[in-house]
Amino acid sequence: MNAANIAEIIAFALSAFIAVAGALGMATTMSMFRSGIFLMASFMGVAGLFVLLSADLLGLLQIMMYIGGMLVMILFMVLFMQDPGGAMMADMPDMMTPVGKIFSLGLKQNDPTGTGPEEEGEGRDGDDDNMGDMDMSDMAMVTPAYRWAVWAALLTAGGLVALLLLRPAWPLASGALDPRSAERIGSLLMDKYMVGFEGAGFLILIGIVGAVFMARTGRHGAKADRDSRSAIEDTPPEIEADPLTPLAGDIGQTGPGGAA
Amino acid sequence: MTVPLTAYLVVGALLFAIGVYTVVAQRGAVMVLMGIEVILNAIGLNLIAFWRFVAPADYSAQIFTIFIITIGAVEMAVGLGIMMLLYRQRQSVQVDDYAELRG
Amino acid sequence: MGVAEEIGFVLLALLGGALLTAGLERLLGTAERGPARPLAVARATALPNADRWLLPAGPISGLAGVLFGTVVIPFGPTLIGRDLGIGVFYFIVVIDFVVLGVALNGWGASTSDAVESCYRIVAQLVSYIVPLGLAYVGAIMMARSLVTTTIVDAQSGLWFIVLQPLGFALYLVTGLMQSYRAPFLEAFSDRIGGGVLGVVGGGPALVWRVTLSGLLFLVAAMGAILFLGGWSGPFLPPPVWMALKTYGLMALMLSLGHLVRPLSTAEMLALSWKILTPAGLVNVLIVGILILLHIGPA
Repeated sequence: MNAANIAEIIAFALSAFIAVAGALGMATTMSMFRSGIFLMASFMGVAGLFVLLSADLLGLLQIMMYIGGMLVMILFMVLFMQDPGGAMMADMPDMMTPVGKIFSLGLKQNDPTGTGPEEEGEGRDGDDDNMGDMDMSDMAMVTPAYRWAVWAALLTAGGLVALLLLRPAWPLASGALDPRSAERIGSLLMDKYMVGFEGAGFLILIGIVGAVFMARTGRHGAKADRDSRSAIEDTPPEIEADPLTPLAGDIGQTGPGGAA
Repeated sequence: MTVPLTAYLVVGALLFAIGVYTVVAQRGAVMVLMGIEVILNAIGLNLIAFWRFVAPADYSAQIFTIFIITIGAVEMAVGLGIMMLLYRQRQSVQVDDYAELRG
Repeated sequence: MGVAEEIGFVLLALLGGALLTAGLERLLGTAERGPARPLAVARATALPNADRWLLPAGPISGLAGVLFGTVVIPFGPTLIGRDLGIGVFYFIVVIDFVVLGVALNGWGASTSDAVESCYRIVAQLVSYIVPLGLAYVGAIMMARSLVTTTIVDAQSGLWFIVLQPLGFALYLVTGLMQSYRAPFLEAFSDRIGGGVLGVVGGGPALVWRVTLSGLLFLVAAMGAILFLGGWSGPFLPPPVWMALKTYGLMALMLSLGHLVRPLSTAEMLALSWKILTPAGLVNVLIVGILILLHIGPA
């Protein structure tokens, strides 16, 4: 057991721990943003495993795609969800699973002075007790089927690991690895897998065009814009010398033509 | 290689199980997408582990993993686009609210 | 070099580079706006809603990004942290950690200005990453390698700036976007109180200072390697040439940037998708034609 072997085992243990703990954190934490960050951490653990397996180009490709992609996706998620930061859920520890409590440590609870982050679709009550009219079960992050899901996951993990440990040995080959993996991959992509490469490019193009097309607002604008426009048209004209007018001055500035 | 092939495959199996849990149990559509990404990641790990230990001369496994990563990214983008359209219709992205496709 | 020597060299290179960058910005007078503005290191900020896990992770991620990026920059034929086989690709990937760091710091601080900064920086990432990659691809294609020292060696006949002027112009613009200097200041602009830089104080502020100055240094150094021939030159020793080219490119970028008024995030995105990405694709086409005509290194 020389130093290189020990270093390799430590690197493997660290990367594997980050990968699995990150995935577990993503599945159980109460904060959406942390969920995304944990997923990113899990991918970096897997990228570390790829580099240990001498697939360094692939490990870096994984990091590049997922930091760029995941980060944008997390921010998307924040726009659409209630309580993306987990501040509301941090006040309700009895709604979390035991594992979820560990991964939700350090989340700051609701600050009633109103200096917290802005959240879309959720008014800032500034008051923890104002939840009486909301149905508690709507707040859960998991569906009612989650006990079945836990059993399914445990059975899957147990079954796969048992199969792995009991299976007879694979025909292992050990050869000298080509250090110029980037050139090898590049020439294979252009050579043997050209059709797949072009097909993947075409698929990405279709995906881009489709996603942009789907995300466009229609000819009449989004519902929120239409509502705000009709709300503005319904307000009566301002009264001269009204002492309250300067305070309401912001409403008149989101004119037709939509979001600033 | 002092770390055996089985170790990498066990990590892959654990990631797969966590991904399955996430896809089935989470309510938000974006969380389901994230679970699918974890599953694809576990598959990629399996592919590369087998490449390294069983057939290191043929780089096809890395090509396949590149394709998996790419297609996973495209699928996530399209999924988010669909989710945004659904949100505009109903102001909710919980999968429980879209139950009328079932049955 | 042994591992300890590599780490020492990287630290020295980064800190020296960041220091000289800060000095250059002060000299050129471009240090009033954006991330180069003087930071109140002694200020203690009280953030009532801070996310205790994400907030400290921000500066760490940013600093790690710049440190890992310095590893593949050669300052001489053998003066490099580690000559990775995937050098330039590794560099692009690792610099993204700085964006991640700002995003984590912004979200973790949980004030509306910091979260706004987090969103703007990710929008800026989306807008620069494709044209930057295309500018890199031109130089990589001509050198036929991702290794930084090989790219420098391939320019021993003729610098790539002569063969790929469009790629160089593209690199100037996207390099400014990548290092958050004028005119792409929106993520740290004064209208949001400096964004993330307005809510850090003390130790994290110093770390961000080193990170953002180091980021500009690395962007200019990589530009010197890709387009200006790196450490090659007639009389002076290689590190001196490298320093001259890096800081010359940096001075060019900063001065040209300050001639343009600051752009808003929407304008940045429009610029990227309407002008820079097509220009990048045209650049790749031109470089391909040049290679097919056997112009440039063999």
